[in-house]
Amino acid sequence: MNRASATPVLKVHNLSVGHKNIPVLQGLHFACEAGQFISLLGPNGAGKTTLLRTLSRHLPPLAGNILLRGKELTKLRALELARIMAVVLTDKISPPLFTVEEFVALGRYPHTDYLGRLQAEDISRIQAALQAVRAEHLQRRQFSDLSDGERQKVLIARALAQDPQLLLLDEPTVHLDLRHRMEVMAILRDLCRCQGITVLASLHDVDIAAKISDRVALIKDNGMMAWGSPETVLNSASVSQLYNVEQAVFDSALGSLEMRSPTSSGKAFVVGGMGSGALVYRMLAKKGFAVATGVLQKHDLDFHVARALGAECISVGPMETIDGAGAEQALRVLATCDFVVDSGFALGPANMANVDLLHSALRQGKTVLSLRSDIADLFAGDEKNSLYLCQDADQFLTFLDTMDAMVFDRPAPLSVPQPESM
Amino acid sequence: MSTADLAITPVRSSLLSRRPTLVFILLGCAAVLLLLLNVTIGSVHYPLAEIIRILQAPAEASTSTAGSIIWNIRIPRAIAAIFGGAYLAASGLLLQIYFRNPIVGPYILGISSGATLMVSFVMLTTVSAGLTMFSPYLNTLAAFLGAYAVMFLVLVIANRVGGGVTLLIVGLMVGYLCGAVTAILTALAEKEKIKGFVLWQLGSFSGFKWDEIMLLLVGGGLIIGLLYLLSKPLNAFLLGEEYAASLGVNIRRFRLLILLCSCALAGMITAMAGPVAFVGMAVPHMARLSFGTSDNRILIPGACLMGAVVTSLCDLIARTVMAPVELPLSAITAFFGAPIVISLLLKRRVKL
Repeated sequence: MNRASATPVLKVHNLSVGHKNIPVLQGLHFACEAGQFISLLGPNGAGKTTLLRTLSRHLPPLAGNILLRGKELTKLRALELARIMAVVLTDKISPPLFTVEEFVALGRYPHTDYLGRLQAEDISRIQAALQAVRAEHLQRRQFSDLSDGERQKVLIARALAQDPQLLLLDEPTVHLDLRHRMEVMAILRDLCRCQGITVLASLHDVDIAAKISDRVALIKDNGMMAWGSPETVLNSASVSQLYNVEQAVFDSALGSLEMRSPTSSGKAFVVGGMGSGALVYRMLAKKGFAVATGVLQKHDLDFHVARALGAECISVGPMETIDGAGAEQALRVLATCDFVVDSGFALGPANMANVDLLHSALRQGKTVLSLRSDIADLFAGDEKNSLYLCQDADQFLTFLDTMDAMVFDRPAPLSVPQPESM
Repeated sequence: MSTADLAITPVRSSLLSRRPTLVFILLGCAAVLLLLLNVTIGSVHYPLAEIIRILQAPAEASTSTAGSIIWNIRIPRAIAAIFGGAYLAASGLLLQIYFRNPIVGPYILGISSGATLMVSFVMLTTVSAGLTMFSPYLNTLAAFLGAYAVMFLVLVIANRVGGGVTLLIVGLMVGYLCGAVTAILTALAEKEKIKGFVLWQLGSFSGFKWDEIMLLLVGGGLIIGLLYLLSKPLNAFLLGEEYAASLGVNIRRFRLLILLCSCALAGMITAMAGPVAFVGMAVPHMARLSFGTSDNRILIPGACLMGAVVTSLCDLIARTVMAPVELPLSAITAFFGAPIVISLLLKRRVKL
């Protein structure tokens, strides 16, 4: 059942949080509805944990109100609060001699009698909680023997056994491997969708948060930089500002972060398109080459990746045929580059101008690295002295090292491959 | 929860089928057996028939020597050993939960040092010369005063500092301070007084009076009863203070209550028997490992029973092995207890 109702599960008004009258965050306003997934994003030390600890009443608020289902948080009785809100903290706990099942049973605390005796209802809730986190198979294991990923799932099960409407999690995926990270996020998302539980979690993975959250809160510099759906709030500018990074750029269309690295080598011109260039850009960026690319149609995958990596991007409108002005501009830029890469893009009537670009590069005597498997037709009439073929990414990377050496006149790490003879 | 979740067929759960009963029965039998042995065995030998006759006639306590030995010496001592072991074990269990640290015992907060300090004043100096009217109870009174003074000091400090580790260090420091004063007094004391004092420091259940037993029974019994009722929040406390608070435990009040109960129990025994080492630290482990659980609903009575058995056994050994010389109790408890704890840990391969 969905616990949808008029009153938000959690409403925060003009809240200030901090330690001992020194505010860490001020003037917070937001409301969480039933079944929403809310991510708190922000750099380390921004105050995400302090906010979570205040919401869970471990710290008193310095100012403002916190309303839990319309009731003042500070006035709730401890047991009443425990029936509405459950927490998963980062503290590493490992009580000895607890089976997973007994451990999860501790979550029934606010529902059991004065001695904590379990009724049939409690047992079925514990089983349901274990199933919800896909950990039924662990129930007889010792809690202290679990791996980090299993432990995190069991900690969530314990919180679920409390039968909460609001679940607060402090960095639930930290220290987990990829599989468990994805599994934990999927579990949390299912809790929101299927059980109508509101989940409020501090996260470090912007890309995962963007894909899973209903709301994100960007926490920085004493306050909330932004609040809203990730689709409106997260873009390359806000993410760069949030984490104060220039090396990595978030692209909302790709939903991922691209790593920029300072240019330390020469400049490459990539003739790409239709997604064929994305990997090439990343390899070049990793090796420290500056990248120019073209001619791309706007909103091609390559366009987004190249832009996120900070490449000089020559483009025409979406679905437009590449010709004229775009091609001329590309040619001018190409002339300034140290070498040219043919990404092996698919050929079609709309991008014949890009093929011409490669021809003219070869005519100018530019080094051209081609990742194309079948070059016979394309370069049939060309001078091939400066054309190099790469069978796969490894060979391409080796080439790049060689290029690096040639451009900067450094000793080559590997011998220069011979031009393709045909 | 969706309806599908509610329709789950309950898998056979280990939560309802745990069986600590057998261990309880074994320990109970052992406790009764040791109680009887402690009454029947002693430096003066009596035939069994004689002892049974005397046990049926409490009035003989004041009429015959045998009656007096059985009723006024052996029985109070046997009962005191049982209470002493039980309360020290419970006290140690509480502090191990409080500090979430398996190597703490009842004396970690300096209670025994406080008691020792006050007793050293009485036994090693002449300041008590004018107080001869209290003389039979003077040691007990002094130890009581010292133990509870340190306890209140610790409670006041616990109320002000948040972290368990800070309190632990404060307790240790208070212990060192008291120990320093005691050491100075020992250095200045006359030689013949020192031996008595050293033996007191090693603990003994000899010389218990019936009214002390009654005090142990009523005072300690009430605390143990209270603790059993607190076993649910104590279980939540195993998760750490923040999780316990999120489950609905009033942490501030509960912390003080645990410390108060633990110190009161340990202080009571220390005042009457002196500092009995090892029991409070090791018995909770023995109980945890034999019952195979950390559930305090089982461990509180379990540790009490285990403590009673271990202490009775050690007292029996201390009295009989080199009779008529009585060995120091703390030596025996450590001698027999330490290997047991080590072997249990190795056998069960659990991390505590």
